[in-house]
Amino acid sequence: MVASLGALGRFATFSAVVLRSTLRPPWLVHETLSRCYVTTTRCLLPVIAVCGPFGMVMSLQGLEIFGLFGAERLLSGLVSVAILRELAPVLASVLVAAQGGSSCAAELGAMRIKEELDATEVMAVDSIGWHVVPRVLGLTLATPLLNVAGAASGLTGAFFTAVVMKGETAGVFMHELWALTSPADVWGGIAKTTVFGALIGLVASYHGYHATGGAAGVGKAVNDTVVRSVLVFIVVNYFLTSAFFGQLA
Amino acid sequence: MNTMRQAGAFAYFVWDWAMAVRRWGAPRAEIWREAFRIGVMSLPILLVIAAFVGTNLALQGFYAFRPLGGGRLVGMFVSLAGVRELGPIIAAAMVAAKAGTEMASQIGVMRIREQIDALEVMAVNPYAWLVTPRLVGIVLVLPALTVISIFTMLASGYLVAVFQLGLNGSTYLTFATQGITAMDFVYGMLKAVWFGMIICLVSCWYGFTCGRGPEGVGEATNRAVVTSAVVCVLSNYFLSEILYGGGP
Repeated sequence: MVASLGALGRFATFSAVVLRSTLRPPWLVHETLSRCYVTTTRCLLPVIAVCGPFGMVMSLQGLEIFGLFGAERLLSGLVSVAILRELAPVLASVLVAAQGGSSCAAELGAMRIKEELDATEVMAVDSIGWHVVPRVLGLTLATPLLNVAGAASGLTGAFFTAVVMKGETAGVFMHELWALTSPADVWGGIAKTTVFGALIGLVASYHGYHATGGAAGVGKAVNDTVVRSVLVFIVVNYFLTSAFFGQLA
Repeated sequence: MNTMRQAGAFAYFVWDWAMAVRRWGAPRAEIWREAFRIGVMSLPILLVIAAFVGTNLALQGFYAFRPLGGGRLVGMFVSLAGVRELGPIIAAAMVAAKAGTEMASQIGVMRIREQIDALEVMAVNPYAWLVTPRLVGIVLVLPALTVISIFTMLASGYLVAVFQLGLNGSTYLTFATQGITAMDFVYGMLKAVWFGMIICLVSCWYGFTCGRGPEGVGEATNRAVVTSAVVCVLSNYFLSEILYGGGP
């Protein structure tokens, strides 16, 4: 209990240090954008491959629920609300944690084990500003982009199952798609994923930066990163959903 | 092209493992230890995640159904979505993130420290010795974890529906039990068995093919969780189509 409180305090201190070096020049714009590019390209295929089938499953199960009331035409409204508000942000962030966050932790951990971070410090270069901040900002920028890609593939998957496989009418599907959603849902999803991306980046670089104990330590850092960042953003998600969407609809 | 080659190498790995099991069997004592480790280690995190997924299901169901005058149907929404889809998938994702990454990094570290070669030198088949206990363990515990996560989701959905959304508790429970049957639980557990096999085999394979040094272990761990999550979700669609689809 005390140990976990201590870890929480160290994480908060680390986050404050990262925030301070983010606000302070030099701003490594090119490095940040290239981190964002690497994360986006690496995660794009997994995000599409997870969100697409999830949209298909939602269509499949939704048709059955609405079939009980003979209201199949309402399907696409429900599916688009669920995908834009919850599924795409959460699934995209899970995949970013599993792919982008864990590779961030693995890279920083390997640099720590090989004493490259100490070498950076010896050369009077701020290792947090140089190695950590671009990664955190890169993840923060990449996650909303991946959320949009995930939402698009989820809606495409839902359309495919409902119209092509189950023979619903394409026109009705497209008409009802925007019946319950508004641009606020899209922006809410983007705002949520920006927060999730920053949390994933901080948790990942905290574990990578403080890795100890050789190759096994790097493996443990990656493991802890995936588990804890998912835990943190799922908990935060509940509060953000209540805050953003509680007054809508 | 590279993906195809990897898939082929993975198929060879599964084949080699199956042959090794047929020839050498499995260490019994290890099975219980692995099952205990996988189940108990993943349980706390799974409980928290499932609880918060349940709260969000209730919120979403409420906002989606309220414009149609169906705010009362929240219970049915939570139970259908939880039992059929999200329970198995969330349990699988958390076990992949917790136990799967640990399998990949443990076996990867054994590989780069040449402990696996040492096993072979001692005429112990590493596939039979390392993979089988983990596979049997995960197949034993993942269905149980799935059922636990389903009930956690229903309970947290109840709390949100009653205390945050102000709905009637007994209406929630009535609709929650109306939407599902016992067969849905059986199907969910079948899914969990399949997901467990995928997670274990994929994670162990990335461990065995781990590259050099700390980066190699990090890379293997990273790929293990991403690949097993993607394969689980992809195959989930086909499982749902077979189990619940019932034709066009």
